[in-house]
Amino acid sequence: MTETDPENQNPSLLRRIRARLVPDAHPADDRGRMRMVLDSLILHLHPPKVPDRTLKWTYTWGLGGLSAVLMLILGATGAILLNNYTPSAPQAYLDILELRSNVWFGELVRNLHHWSANLLVIIAVLHLLRVFLTGSYRAPRELNWLIGVGMLLLVLAANFTGYLLPWDQLAYWAITVGTGILSYIPLVGEWLSRLVLGGPEVGASTLLNFYSLHISFIPLLIFGLMSFHFWRVRKDGGLTLPRRIDETEEPRVERLTTIPHLVRKELVFALVWIAAILIFAMLVPAPLEDIANPGLSPNPAKAPWYFLGLQELLLHFHPLVAGIILPGLAMLGIFLLPFIDINTASVGIYFRSRRGRSLSLLALGLAILLTPLWVLLDEFILDWSAWLPSWPSLITNGLIPMTVVLLPLILIDDWAQKHLRADLEERILFLVIFLFTAFGILTAIGIFFRGPGMNLYWPWLMPEVVH
Amino acid sequence: MNPERTRKIETLLGLLATQLIVAALLLYVLDEPGRIVAAQDQVLHTQLDQAMSLYAENCAVCHGLAGEGIGSIPALENEGLRSMPYYDLVRVIADGRYNTGMPAWSLENGGPLSDYQIGELVALILSGDWQATQERVVNLGLAPLVPFTTDPDPALLEQVTWLPGGETLQVGIRVYAAECIACHGTDGLGSAIAPALNEPLVRTRTVDELTRTIAYGSAGTLMAGWDGVLSPEEIAAAVALIQRWDEIPSGTLPAPEAPVPLTAESLVLGSELYTASCARCHGTDGQGTMRAPGLNVRGFLTETSDPAIQQIVTLGVPGTSMPAWGDRMTEAEIQALVGFIRQWEPTAPEVAVPSRGAGGGAGAGNGRGGPPWLRDSAQATALPLPTPTQLVDPQPTEIPAVVEGSPTPTSIPAHTPGAEAQTPGGGNPPWAQAAAEPAAALPPLDWRILALVGGGLAIASTLILIGYTALKRPRR
Repeated sequence: MTETDPENQNPSLLRRIRARLVPDAHPADDRGRMRMVLDSLILHLHPPKVPDRTLKWTYTWGLGGLSAVLMLILGATGAILLNNYTPSAPQAYLDILELRSNVWFGELVRNLHHWSANLLVIIAVLHLLRVFLTGSYRAPRELNWLIGVGMLLLVLAANFTGYLLPWDQLAYWAITVGTGILSYIPLVGEWLSRLVLGGPEVGASTLLNFYSLHISFIPLLIFGLMSFHFWRVRKDGGLTLPRRIDETEEPRVERLTTIPHLVRKELVFALVWIAAILIFAMLVPAPLEDIANPGLSPNPAKAPWYFLGLQELLLHFHPLVAGIILPGLAMLGIFLLPFIDINTASVGIYFRSRRGRSLSLLALGLAILLTPLWVLLDEFILDWSAWLPSWPSLITNGLIPMTVVLLPLILIDDWAQKHLRADLEERILFLVIFLFTAFGILTAIGIFFRGPGMNLYWPWLMPEVVH
Repeated sequence: MNPERTRKIETLLGLLATQLIVAALLLYVLDEPGRIVAAQDQVLHTQLDQAMSLYAENCAVCHGLAGEGIGSIPALENEGLRSMPYYDLVRVIADGRYNTGMPAWSLENGGPLSDYQIGELVALILSGDWQATQERVVNLGLAPLVPFTTDPDPALLEQVTWLPGGETLQVGIRVYAAECIACHGTDGLGSAIAPALNEPLVRTRTVDELTRTIAYGSAGTLMAGWDGVLSPEEIAAAVALIQRWDEIPSGTLPAPEAPVPLTAESLVLGSELYTASCARCHGTDGQGTMRAPGLNVRGFLTETSDPAIQQIVTLGVPGTSMPAWGDRMTEAEIQALVGFIRQWEPTAPEVAVPSRGAGGGAGAGNGRGGPPWLRDSAQATALPLPTPTQLVDPQPTEIPAVVEGSPTPTSIPAHTPGAEAQTPGGGNPPWAQAAAEPAAALPPLDWRILALVGGGLAIASTLILIGYTALKRPRR
């Protein structure tokens, strides 16, 4: 309007700047309103109007949005950290010490980056879980599910590569343990391990590799996929509509304008989380141990916490099974989920149905009960390689224990199908919740209960190992 | 919910969060200078802590327990060094000092230390606590054993006068006692860091060769050039001493009465080692048994110096059942043992009261033998026994050759598992290594275990029960 207003033929400098920065909120004509919607960044990301039901925060829990906020924090703090970091040993460690003891807010920025990165792993997994539990990956959203899972893997990769950068004992040995799994991949394992590490073991080239992956390749990919993910959400018709469990007919949808209803919610949500993360980062310093020492391995040497479920599996299975076959099957299953679990009738209902809810409770309870039991059994009693000494370890440590674990699973699934009359989507729900909980418990055991020599200890009786 | 109310709550929340962010940042700004100072302190503290171990492992052998210097090797606890620029000190450690005993330590010069570690050592020189460093060196069992200086035995020195050219030899002995014994050891027998000079092969060297070595040092070794410190006459006297050492009575250049340094930790280790390896023959409190003489006796302790006890333990006593422990224990462990034995001295009785050796070769504390519930070491030590006391012949500077009495050879403590278990693989003594690693046995129940297991079981069974009953409930 300012441009066409005859009284403002020669607007002042300030007016001209203002006209560019703050577009007129109330265009008089349709064309102006149209332009405004088209030009708005917010309305580029969100539709102009959203169903009021999707604004209920107990449906999405804001997990996707929080992931995006965390990515922004990580990008900003990461860019700052870049200014004070040299990817070479031992300078990398000295730089972190410098950051901590001689740079204003250096510690705060590092803490923010560290805690946001760890929180992002948790939030991204929860986001995936939410999408699964509401069945929101079903047609037409299968592609976006795949993109999301890809981003989760990239987040893990970013976290893992970043883990090495401080070049302290924690970093060095966690990466040594974490990359050790690679060499168990048949045929290409050795080659792949050398490619990633840039040599036979973690060293200067690994640091440079991980650094370049961490600051360029992975963030670029994540940024690209994030944009794609957002775009697909709009293209696939926005969020799935939350529905009550007995609601069978299509719900009547009332739509609210995105500005201000959705945007205000998002802003408040982001502010609350930023405040929480900021205060946490101010109070709790990111860990930093002694400088990396390839000659002195800590006991126990643990991978980063999000891989401890895998490391726990490695204690029970042959590396090929625990490190490659089981995670590979799990990833394949996750990728295939939206193409197997295709009942669009229950989209938007948490746990699919009433029976689904009961089955979920059952799965949760069984996993909580059986997982620690199996860990104890395998740790102290089952010893196939001693019982069958002449058999190859791939069978005694791999196939037999795998059968021992998978057979009950198949039996339970069969029981749920025949006895509890669960249909396909409910069986999938049951299995996924069971496996997810079991993996969570394995991770917790790996984090809290594994001590020196990767033996089991009560967390409060964990022996301190001093070097 | 009422949209108007929702809007208000959300706005309030947003405002609150914004205020929190601003307030937290302001508070953080105020705290930041203090935090930086604290962080610097902490970094320095950590570096000094690691530097002390590095010092113990690499430097103490020449620069002494607490940086006081040994012989001609300079002290590091030194005001002059503390005022030197940081990078000058880094260069000296990294590149070494030409024509002195100081080698190059950096990895790029073929040494063992990374740049980071060299930086830590410089921090130690600039602002370290040398008293704490001494404790660290002792705790790591790396106290240099070399005597720093000594006084020649006056009687034997007197004898030397009667030899031809005795005056010169006396000068040589005094020079050796003051400057050389630090590295080349008592009576020129050598030490961990320098070769023996009292040796036929050395005696065959010409005067020129020896003079040149003493005056200008030996490149690539710790042997420094002494022409600035010693006069030509003194060097000549030292050369004479080296060439005619076979004429000098042994014991002329004895080890000084340098007590083995002690800490609380080494006492504990010494006590453990004693119980595991020595108590069986020497008695639980050193009172002696039928197999071996008492150690907790005034006569033995006052007349036997720490280095002498250490030598006895290390080399054993040939012809008796006292084995050489040198190949079963580290030097540090033997030192700890010596320290433990030494602390008996103030309360040692005049006469040892040996306990009767237990027949079956059972473990320490088995005073009387018999079934376990009757074995009581406290009672056992109180049992007076008529066995005559036998003491190690105290000859501090020589390897004690004789122990009276004839302990049964079969009672030689076989390769004691305790002593071996104490030193798993590493050079460091046990207290500097990992805490004992217990097997994965889970400890007895306490309330936390009950809470965790019980809670887990309760939650799991409740979930299963609720889920299952809901599933089995008949449908409409």
